[in-house]
Amino acid sequence: MPDNNAAAATGARPAEAGPVAHPDTTAKWFLISAICYFFIVGIIAITIAAKFCWPELLGTVPYLSYGRLRPLHVNGMLFGWLLAADMGLAYYIVPRLCGVKLWSEKLGIATAALWNVIILGAVFALMGGYNQGLEYAELPLPLDILVVIAWIMFGINIFGTIMTRRYQQMYVSLWYIMGCILWTAFVYLTGNFATEFTSGVNQANLNWMYVHNAVGLIFTPIGLGIAYYFIPKSSETPLYSHRLSMVGFWALSFVYVWTGAHHMIHGPISQWLQTIAITFSLMLLIPVWAVVYNFFATMKGQWHQLRDNVPLKFLMSGVVFYLLTCFQGPMHSLRSVSAIVSKTDWIPGHAHMAVLGCFSFFAVAGIYYVAPRLWRTQLHSDALANWSFWFIIMGGLGFFVTLWLGGFWQGWQWNNPAIPFIDTVKALQPIWLVRFFSGVMIFLGIVMFAYNIMATVVGRKAYVQ
Amino acid sequence: MFSKADNSAAWAVGGALALFFLGGLITTVVPPLVDKSWGRPAPGLKPYTEIQLKGRAIYVREGCWYCHTQQTRTLVSDTKRSGWRGVDSPISTPDEFVYDKPHMFGTKRTGPDLSRVGGKYDTQWHRTHFRNPRDLVPGSVMPPFPWIVNDPVEFPALVAYIQTLGRAKDWRPDHDYEK
Repeated sequence: MPDNNAAAATGARPAEAGPVAHPDTTAKWFLISAICYFFIVGIIAITIAAKFCWPELLGTVPYLSYGRLRPLHVNGMLFGWLLAADMGLAYYIVPRLCGVKLWSEKLGIATAALWNVIILGAVFALMGGYNQGLEYAELPLPLDILVVIAWIMFGINIFGTIMTRRYQQMYVSLWYIMGCILWTAFVYLTGNFATEFTSGVNQANLNWMYVHNAVGLIFTPIGLGIAYYFIPKSSETPLYSHRLSMVGFWALSFVYVWTGAHHMIHGPISQWLQTIAITFSLMLLIPVWAVVYNFFATMKGQWHQLRDNVPLKFLMSGVVFYLLTCFQGPMHSLRSVSAIVSKTDWIPGHAHMAVLGCFSFFAVAGIYYVAPRLWRTQLHSDALANWSFWFIIMGGLGFFVTLWLGGFWQGWQWNNPAIPFIDTVKALQPIWLVRFFSGVMIFLGIVMFAYNIMATVVGRKAYVQ
Repeated sequence: MFSKADNSAAWAVGGALALFFLGGLITTVVPPLVDKSWGRPAPGLKPYTEIQLKGRAIYVREGCWYCHTQQTRTLVSDTKRSGWRGVDSPISTPDEFVYDKPHMFGTKRTGPDLSRVGGKYDTQWHRTHFRNPRDLVPGSVMPPFPWIVNDPVEFPALVAYIQTLGRAKDWRPDHDYEK
């Protein structure tokens, strides 16, 4: 499509690249390293799932104990895989939506290099036990500082591109990516630096504000920005409503930040703060439904495309998981539901549906879409891509569903004090076994995905326009 | 009406940050100013000694807090499970955690809550349990920690820390370590 502002303004369709030739070096480096971490950290993921079934496994090696591998799994997946993949896709999307080249490709490559230094540093720090003791903020201070520097470099590049844009209209993906950069800066500072000056409940409150918003104001906006770009792109259908997408954006920016204390419902934190957190958690349904309705309405009459469009399969099942996980979240912030599911295995089921089922699906879809375009070739194998989808989604469903059932059951048992605690542990054994095999399935899907992309990059044969 | 704002990056930056800080400040800065109990130590709460702090650092390092919470919630079942010999435990209150840095409230209970575990099990029990939890609790999935038990400095420090948990409130009818 030629450089046509009028069409972009009314159709709310992501603008086409136009005549600009994008080098995309930064996007390539971010995506390649993200895929490597997806694979490597996947091994750690199934290792810790196995430890629930066979607790003696690797039991005498301090560096490989559960308590050290778990933060490595969480941080590796969140920052090594997902955020790096999201940033890589942002480096691809933003210049195209602005109709200009990335502000500085050199700065971008430096950011990618720094990001890899951070992730490799995190591996050594966490396995060595240098853990700050705060969830999602485990990395020691020097690495935290590097993260801030890398984020500023990312922000300068993205904002610099947006400031020099040729299309006046800002498509919703740009809004979400800008929001993500700004909010993340302050959310990250709160979770990793402000906590240094506090203790006890006060520190916990800051910690939960960070933990909740690491998902709500980092992965949600950048993930939705990606979905808003790739759903219309891969289905070649204009977005249903730009206005509705703006309602979703502003509702999200208002309600998400209030909800941190819902991690301590019934716990030693002020009741009024719990009530605020519950109220705003329920209000999350507004931005979520605005987004999901927009995506479903976009697909109206286009669902047949799901038959053979792998990126679209990932995207739309990600949207369904987004709806489910964001329905669960408000529901188990309610005091009555929280009394059952809080602290149980339900919670990892919920968390994995958000980060794996929704946002990783968006990222995987984006990579499947951009890889042939970045390297100007065809995807190595469409059939393998389809297999990777089915392995990841079937493994994922096995994982989520068993943990919800198991977690709910566990919660009921805990609420009957006549049942000794250890019996509630033994009861979960079959659940953990199913979770392990589901994890293996997910991992096999990841291997297929990673191999497919690497084969596309390394062994590319056909060059296409 | 909003079309001008809709095309303005400055509006995006200003609006997004204003809404963020409204919610952010009210839920993080205001609460400790309103609820003084967040920062005032409970009457029975003692600061950690050097050895207890060392033990606490081990608890943080080994990630014990990924599987053990430290909060007796307001739920009846929590007070019974944290209780001892038929006496319910008091619920956890913010003033018991003033010296906890980093806080160890936790989010997941793969193992039991530890908010009132101090004084319930003696050193010998912990030595056996850390060496191989299944020797004392069949069916447990807790990892073994031989490198701590075999360390003459780390093991006593960790036990010293565990024995402090929940001691700010005097509620148990018996002396320590009585079964």
